[in-house]
Amino acid sequence: MQHFLKAALAAGALSVSIGMAHAQDLAPLNSDSEPDRIDWSQLDATFGPMPAPADGTKVGGVSKTLTNEYWRSLGEGYKSFADAHGVDVVYQAAQSEGDQLGQLSIAETLISQGFNALLFSPQTDANLIPALEKATAAGVPVVNVNDAVIPTVAHYVGNVQKDNGMRVAQWFIDTHPEGGKVAVIEGQAGVFAAGQRTAGFTETILAAGNFDVVASVPADWSRELAFNAAATILQQHPDLIGFYANNDGMALGVVEAVKSAGKADQTAVFGTDGISDAYAAVRAGDLTGTVDSFPVLTGEVAMEVALRLAAGQDLPRVVATPQALITKDNIETYATSDLSALRATLMAE
Amino acid sequence: MSKALTSLPLISRIRFRDAGTLVGLILIAIVFSFLSPSFLTLPNLVNILQQSSINACIALGMTLVIISGGIDLSVGPVAALSATLGAAMMVAGVPVPLAVLGAIATGVACGFFNGALIAWGGLQPFIVTLGGLSLYRALALIYTGGTPIFGLPGEFRAIANGTLLGLPGPVIAVGVLAFVAWVILTKTPLGEYLMAVGGNPEAARVAGVPVTLTKLSAYMISGGLASIASLILIGRLGAAEPTLGNLWELDAIAASAIGGASLMGGRGSIVGTLIGCVILGALRNGLTLLNVQAFYQLLATGIIIIVAMLIDRATSGK
Repeated sequence: MQHFLKAALAAGALSVSIGMAHAQDLAPLNSDSEPDRIDWSQLDATFGPMPAPADGTKVGGVSKTLTNEYWRSLGEGYKSFADAHGVDVVYQAAQSEGDQLGQLSIAETLISQGFNALLFSPQTDANLIPALEKATAAGVPVVNVNDAVIPTVAHYVGNVQKDNGMRVAQWFIDTHPEGGKVAVIEGQAGVFAAGQRTAGFTETILAAGNFDVVASVPADWSRELAFNAAATILQQHPDLIGFYANNDGMALGVVEAVKSAGKADQTAVFGTDGISDAYAAVRAGDLTGTVDSFPVLTGEVAMEVALRLAAGQDLPRVVATPQALITKDNIETYATSDLSALRATLMAE
Repeated sequence: MSKALTSLPLISRIRFRDAGTLVGLILIAIVFSFLSPSFLTLPNLVNILQQSSINACIALGMTLVIISGGIDLSVGPVAALSATLGAAMMVAGVPVPLAVLGAIATGVACGFFNGALIAWGGLQPFIVTLGGLSLYRALALIYTGGTPIFGLPGEFRAIANGTLLGLPGPVIAVGVLAFVAWVILTKTPLGEYLMAVGGNPEAARVAGVPVTLTKLSAYMISGGLASIASLILIGRLGAAEPTLGNLWELDAIAASAIGGASLMGGRGSIVGTLIGCVILGALRNGLTLLNVQAFYQLLATGIIIIVAMLIDRATSGK
């Protein structure tokens, strides 16, 4: 028995070390700075038109939670592209953004059903690693889609998080050449997207020389926490000219704080994601702008990448998806439900 | 005690309840195997056991605490704290067995802290462990700065990812722990003390049961098992995250309750809790196979917990 135990342990160790050796071929991924990358608009030009998927191809998607509009929209993108190419898609999500083990269970259960490719949007950088290893061992391509990044993943589809904050910083530099005080409402501490968005904003605006980032505080993606933080910051710095929030939910909380402080004319507020509430708030003039990362289109691009991989194409490790700064001036250009028109607009940029 | 309780010997009453839980599991399995061909296959059943093993490890400790008349809401953050400390030790080059012991000692120490405030301080378990829930999570976040610790040694991961007789390492480890917990509860004085303290603390004190030590040991066991669960998880993930263990306490309480533990104390079963964990695991697995969205999985879990409570009520004749 003891012999057997030892042998089993040794076998386990061997299989793991083989798995790790394979994983070590890839450097830990930083999706923003990975050199092996391509922009989504170049896929057709570089790799030819989308190959027809084999009959009976099916793709599984696992995302964070359907209580967030972003992930629902991403699933719509998966489905619309899959439907257009006659591919079956199964899209599942965990109960909440905190449910790490539940998401792992879902991913593992899906793997056992024999998909041709899998699309993972993990809760954290680590919680889907066992599922990734299992799928890789079974030869099923896995695409990590926004926004937590599994360091060992071979394929990533998503927007450049850092560019997100840089676009907002650029707006301030263009609109307020005289400079001024700004503040950042950050997402959950330690989350890659939050860190990169904040860094992109702060680095860009400080480089302009005449701006001050007077506060940069986490509000954990919560509208209520963001409201409180913004109210406090406004009391301390009544001459603040703008806020940048790492997502739209928080930005809408900030908008309320700015309004109740009577600073709506003086203080600009920017969010991130482009959810429908944010579009409505931009139209109403409450929210100055949001950086839309086009979740439906991102879903379509991710599905295209998965199907190209399933068809045997060798793609770069990162495929960057589009984003744009939406303000009152350009909102009608982007607020279209016609995806092909949106694609054309973004391609032209 | 009610008439139904006294008319049946305690042990056979518990076995009767366990049989009821098992019937529930079998019913669920039959329904799913009709609806999905891949449910009743060996790889999928092993999958369910593996997915249930972490919750089972937590629920074992939770059951002992609940039997003693308490509750431990801090298991998830205790797991996170011991996992991050253990992982940091391993990455720093501390030998794996030593780091594992260090992690378990951290969990036991957290349990001691909870237990000391409850047993000696006379504070309410719900409030103390609610405080612990924030406290230990904060320590884990502060210690790591919010970022995961990657790069755990392969020899450590091999234990969690290995298999023996076709069963994954975590399932075997939790099986052994469950056997130990069952022995403690049914064959040792500590088990009798736990039942007595949870059933009627005053009577237990008069009868000479060491009430303080009994409560203390329940929370220490719970803390230790939480850290073992976290070690299993980080072995599988290859990384330790300070956010790990979110909402573990609720799954563990649910499993204990489905298995027949009473939050009033004095009643609970290791076998029942294990079956409760597998019921929750099978439910999640089966509904995923049927491509049912997570919201309905939550609904099903809620219904099962309430049905289990209603059956409890009916059979205990109260």
